[in-house]
Amino acid sequence: MIRIEELTKVFPNPDGTEKTAVDRVSLRVAPGEIYGLLGPNGAGKTTTLRMVSGLLRPTSGRVLIGGIDVTNHTAEVKRQIGYLTANTGLYQRLTPLETLEYFAALYSIPKAPARRRIDELVDWLGMQDFLKLRCGALSTGQKQRTNIARALIADPPILIMDEPTLGLDVLSNRLILQFIQSQADAGKAILLSTHALDEIEKMCKRIGLIHDGRLVAENDLAGLQRMTGRERLSDVFLHLVHADEPLLKD
Amino acid sequence: MRMNRFSRISTVWRKEFADTLRDRRTVIAMVLVPMVVYPVLMLGSLQAFELQVSRLKQEEYTIAVTSEDVGRWLRTRILDPDLARHTVARGVPAEDLAAAIDEAEQAARAAEHGSGRGSPTEAAEADVQRRPPPYRVEVVSNVQEAVWAGQAHVGVVVDGAELPTPDSLGSARVTLVVDEAEIRSQIAASGLEAVFKRANERFVERRLRDIGRAIDFIRPLDLMHQSISTPEKLGGSVIGQVVALVLVIMTITGAIYPAIDLTAGERERGTLETLMAAPVPTVDLIAGKFVVVASIGMLSAVLNLLSIGGTIYLGGLGSVLTQGSPLRIPLHTLPLVLVVLVPLAVMFSAMLLAVCSFARSFKEAQNYVMPVMMLALIPAVVGVLPGAELKGPLLIMPVTNIVILTRELFMGQIDRVAILWVCMSTCLYAGAAVAVAAKLFGQEAVLFSDSASLRALFRRRFFKPADEPSVAQAFLLMAVVYSLNFFIQQTLLKSGVVPGTAAHLAGVALTLVLLFAALPIAAAVFMRVRVAPALALGAPRPAAVVAGLCFGVSTWVLGLAWLSVQQRVLPLPPELVEAARPLEEQLRGLSLLSALFFIAVVPAFCEELFFRGYCLSGLRGALGKSGAVLVAAFAFGAAHYSVHRLAVTMALGVLFGLLVIQYRSIWPAMIAHGLHNGLILLAAREDGLLPYLKRWGFVDPHTEAVFPPAGWLIGAGTLVLVGLLLCVFRPGRPDYPPAAEVRAAGP
Repeated sequence: MIRIEELTKVFPNPDGTEKTAVDRVSLRVAPGEIYGLLGPNGAGKTTTLRMVSGLLRPTSGRVLIGGIDVTNHTAEVKRQIGYLTANTGLYQRLTPLETLEYFAALYSIPKAPARRRIDELVDWLGMQDFLKLRCGALSTGQKQRTNIARALIADPPILIMDEPTLGLDVLSNRLILQFIQSQADAGKAILLSTHALDEIEKMCKRIGLIHDGRLVAENDLAGLQRMTGRERLSDVFLHLVHADEPLLKD
Repeated sequence: MRMNRFSRISTVWRKEFADTLRDRRTVIAMVLVPMVVYPVLMLGSLQAFELQVSRLKQEEYTIAVTSEDVGRWLRTRILDPDLARHTVARGVPAEDLAAAIDEAEQAARAAEHGSGRGSPTEAAEADVQRRPPPYRVEVVSNVQEAVWAGQAHVGVVVDGAELPTPDSLGSARVTLVVDEAEIRSQIAASGLEAVFKRANERFVERRLRDIGRAIDFIRPLDLMHQSISTPEKLGGSVIGQVVALVLVIMTITGAIYPAIDLTAGERERGTLETLMAAPVPTVDLIAGKFVVVASIGMLSAVLNLLSIGGTIYLGGLGSVLTQGSPLRIPLHTLPLVLVVLVPLAVMFSAMLLAVCSFARSFKEAQNYVMPVMMLALIPAVVGVLPGAELKGPLLIMPVTNIVILTRELFMGQIDRVAILWVCMSTCLYAGAAVAVAAKLFGQEAVLFSDSASLRALFRRRFFKPADEPSVAQAFLLMAVVYSLNFFIQQTLLKSGVVPGTAAHLAGVALTLVLLFAALPIAAAVFMRVRVAPALALGAPRPAAVVAGLCFGVSTWVLGLAWLSVQQRVLPLPPELVEAARPLEEQLRGLSLLSALFFIAVVPAFCEELFFRGYCLSGLRGALGKSGAVLVAAFAFGAAHYSVHRLAVTMALGVLFGLLVIQYRSIWPAMIAHGLHNGLILLAAREDGLLPYLKRWGFVDPHTEAVFPPAGWLIGAGTLVLVGLLLCVFRPGRPDYPPAAEVRAAGP
């Protein structure tokens, strides 16, 4: 479903040098699979996800979504993708209902099916209570639910989620994770990045470790544990980025 | 597809418009400020003005004199009779005197209305000249010192053997000692001067009566003023000056807030990324946003106009501005004024969007907006300078031309040609600004401030090599070349070079080479655009050459016919014909070869490179073939700075553009262009084709009017048709990528 081949992104630095944010990353995500992209801040996760979603142009390499190249057919591919990040904000002065209607229109969904889809999502995510409040007045959890509904408005076969649970309380967190799982069960291909290691442990079939722009390891949890000889994912992670020596020496 | 795009843009527009109107800050800036704050401020400052004036003119002023004698003389012979003159002249009871004087003053004001009252000081001076303020006379030892020290407001020094009276025949020199740095001293002197003038007249009248003469004896000519300007024109002139500036500034001010909110604001709140993830082309997003910004700008201009109109009409500001003469607001020009404001709103919305796109936060954007405001303010103020006229460079000076045009429209002076110029040049600037804004908005560096340096936008290394310039580059270069060319041509004429001489033609040719050939090539090289495909320098196919020849040998005949018809329907103003005469004479004096070189070869080469090379290939990606041909033809027509020739040049532009866009080779168009110019030149020359044309029946022997015979017209029309068919059907179809593919490859 998602196929990333030798994806590279080079950014120019202000001083004229160049920074390789993503370095020849290749991976695949099948329908029904949740792929977890794990890595420290600045490792290149967000840049990778932005390229997959057609927001950034790769310097080299390519992304195929259902066999279509993102770079050449950006608009078509965006239609197939639900994009959700911790940073994706909502319009403060619109209500969740208006937000959903607006995005339905941007995805060129005719009015009647759009209304059905909105009802469906509102039901699933329990958004009835705050549907007609302005987004600016919502709690973080309510905002994130609205955002998820927004990402799913066109029922996309692919979900790209950049730290979808960042800053959520335990309850909202669980709701969102359950929802993501249900979407995978419904056959969607999900590419997810997160800091929260236990989420990845629980949900992801496969895990890709990204460090300094490079995919340093890719396997399921058991495979990674075998590879590194470490039990806990956090230790696996530290071992792979060669940071498992104690930082503070006595 | 087109409908789809339109509905996408309108979706974005509807949402952004509603969103913006829900924002309290917008409502305050757009509605509250113009509708409430302005009237209050205007009326408040008006009342403060009136208060200041009335205070200044009722204050008691002190006159310093050198002796008791002079003091007494001043009081009894000069000041008191002057105060009494109203009573004597009107014969009204003392208690009605004040009202009678006020009435007389109203009438006097109406008779001598000007364009405005200026400062409170000037207004007070004018008033004390009509009616002196209360004066107190004081004897001092040194008048100059007393005035200098502020003990007295004005000093009177009299030199003469005796103090003149109406009965005596003496005369004396009266010196008023004034401290011009002091407002009150000035006002006191002003009033006193008027008193002395009237005293002088009184004395003269009395002395003349004594010798049996009337005042006419020494005043054979009695000078009067009569104003014939209508209340509408007067109102327009007054309102135009104030309102034109306010309108322009408020259009821009109104657009600032939404421009910031829809770009930097979106980014700050993280909604930009959300929006960009939706399957909507960036161009449509920015188009929707841009229409919102422009419409909010227009809306705030309308609200301001209504508010100012209401304040002037209801609040009595108008009568103050015109010193009491009747004034009518020229309501019928309002729609036209608003239409003229549209391209201005478009231009500034695009500029603001482009500038704000760079900002990472709302605050940063506010800082970036300041220079844009200055950019608007300075030319706007130039426009309200007294005597600024829509002529020469001011015709295409952005903002200035709109301010002047608005003022002229308010005065009921509707010059269609000027409107066309102003709107055309502003549209061109607006197009360039929109293209740049669209280009910037889609940049990764602009979308994700954390992902790249803005400086990279301008660094050549990061430009992707391309086969054609982007539409933004094309528009930008068009705007630059258009205005630079205009200013250079004007400077050439102003520098005293006689038009049509070899020196002038060489200057024009140099400008053409630099602006139309060297500049696009340099721009292409710098932007890493491959020059050969961008300027369509490939070798022509034989069919293209044939088509070019068909156009080249025939268009001059049709051009002559068109100009002749146009001259009959819409004759050229005689002063333009006069102005062109020296040029024609000089051209006739030039040798045939150099004339052909300057008029045919150089323009054909340079203008084709620019319009059919650079512009056309840049526009094609975004506008499609026909759109690109039409816009490039319009730019070509506009760049000739002649409304008279606009139709012909645009038609030529379409033919040449079609030729180049279909065959991707500039050379046939150069041949056609050169032939056309050369044949037109030859047709006007005795050593060229003129004798033959006379023989062939082109020239009416009686009127000397030129009109091609029917056979020639049919022949030329057929050739143009053949050329067009060759362009449309392209025998031996070459393998070009279809336009759709070119478009899809764009961002």
